[in-house]
Amino acid sequence: MARPHYVEILGSARKKEKYMPKAIMDLTELLERVENDRELIRELLLIFKEEFPIHLRALRDAVDSMDGKRVAAEAHIMKGMLSNLAAGSAAGAAARLEQLGRSQEVSEFQEACASFESLSKKLLLHLDTCMAEVCG
Amino acid sequence: MKILIADDEVMSRKMLQKTLERAGYEVTAVENGRLAADQLCPPDGPRLALLDWVMPELDGPGVCREVRQRKDQSYVYMVLLTSREAKEDVVAGLKSGADDYLTKPFDPEELKARLRTGLRILSLEDRLVEAREDMRFRATHDGLTALWNRGVILDLLGRELARSRREQVCTAILMCDLDHFKSVNDTYGHLAGDDVLRETAKRLVASVRSYDFVGRFGGEEFLVVLNNCNPAFAFARAEEIRKTIAQTPVPSATGLIPVSMSVGLLLSHDWGHLRVEELLPEADAALYAAKAAGRNCVKVASPRLSSPDSDSQDRESVRMRR
Repeated sequence: MARPHYVEILGSARKKEKYMPKAIMDLTELLERVENDRELIRELLLIFKEEFPIHLRALRDAVDSMDGKRVAAEAHIMKGMLSNLAAGSAAGAAARLEQLGRSQEVSEFQEACASFESLSKKLLLHLDTCMAEVCG
Repeated sequence: MKILIADDEVMSRKMLQKTLERAGYEVTAVENGRLAADQLCPPDGPRLALLDWVMPELDGPGVCREVRQRKDQSYVYMVLLTSREAKEDVVAGLKSGADDYLTKPFDPEELKARLRTGLRILSLEDRLVEAREDMRFRATHDGLTALWNRGVILDLLGRELARSRREQVCTAILMCDLDHFKSVNDTYGHLAGDDVLRETAKRLVASVRSYDFVGRFGGEEFLVVLNNCNPAFAFARAEEIRKTIAQTPVPSATGLIPVSMSVGLLLSHDWGHLRVEELLPEADAALYAAKAAGRNCVKVASPRLSSPDSDSQDRESVRMRR
């Protein structure tokens, strides 16, 4: 069976946005970024599911230890992962944490981390749905 | 075209790799800056590189600085790929030696377009290097025979003599001259004469070791420098050269041309610390002796038999009849 055309996929992704709010993950942008390589998206999502929780735990540990350098380093890595998945809001929250870590604004760590964890939790919940929609 | 990707974040690495492989690049992906520098520094390493800014071991700008410190190697076009976009970061990145700067997450079309710019720069560099090498060759080689030209062969001889004195070994100088070359030109024409010169050059080069030197000294005169050799070897090699030239006529458009060569051989250890400009007339005198002895032979320059200045007029008259 022939694979659907790129435009069809983009159209399908746009329709799904009611289930996958753009604020969490922009599938249209992601498909464009990987040039419609659905196999690559599947691989990326699998890597993300495996790697992201490890970094999230490391971030929490760094925040609890008030270690600005580690907060910045972990947030930087997660910002990159989230940007690659076109998860704009979570990437923005990670960027904020990275900045707070760099400037050692320890008093802001807990609130910023909680906000980031909340966005990340929503994203992780949507990943399987996303994989099913994009990769079939 | 080979390209190196260096990024510690596995998702970025995978996305870049797939995008570039689809675009036809041969991709090597590494996860830290140290590995990137190790890949880029060897002469046959990739000439295009996409480097993440923040990496363990060595960051992107550090890789750029290390690669730029190399000398005499092909240019590597490096693009820093990072989420940093403040003006001072751009300046710092470019100052470290990067050629371009892209912010993450990257747009595949923009990435490929930027790399095409890199390819244009590398292609321009290749053409410039080729032109420089061509000019270097023309400046050091004889245009007809592609042997070392007079200036270079004399320079090489000077160096070799200095080395042989330091190491107390012998250098042999062979002053070689084609016999009756003027009549070759007169009988067969100048184009055939050129064929003879080219073929002679080929035979001379084929007759010596890879580390000996052969140069065109003048019209039909050649200078051969045999490094680190004993007298018996030098004489045998001179005889071999003479035979190689004489035993097979040179093919040309106007037919086979019989040629022969006279050789004046000088062994440096017989002459103390004389300079190049003092030794060459002695080698020339030996060549004169070979001409006087009927041509197509080798004569050795000996300090005991060195002709006094009064012979110089005789030498000149033989030179005119070569």
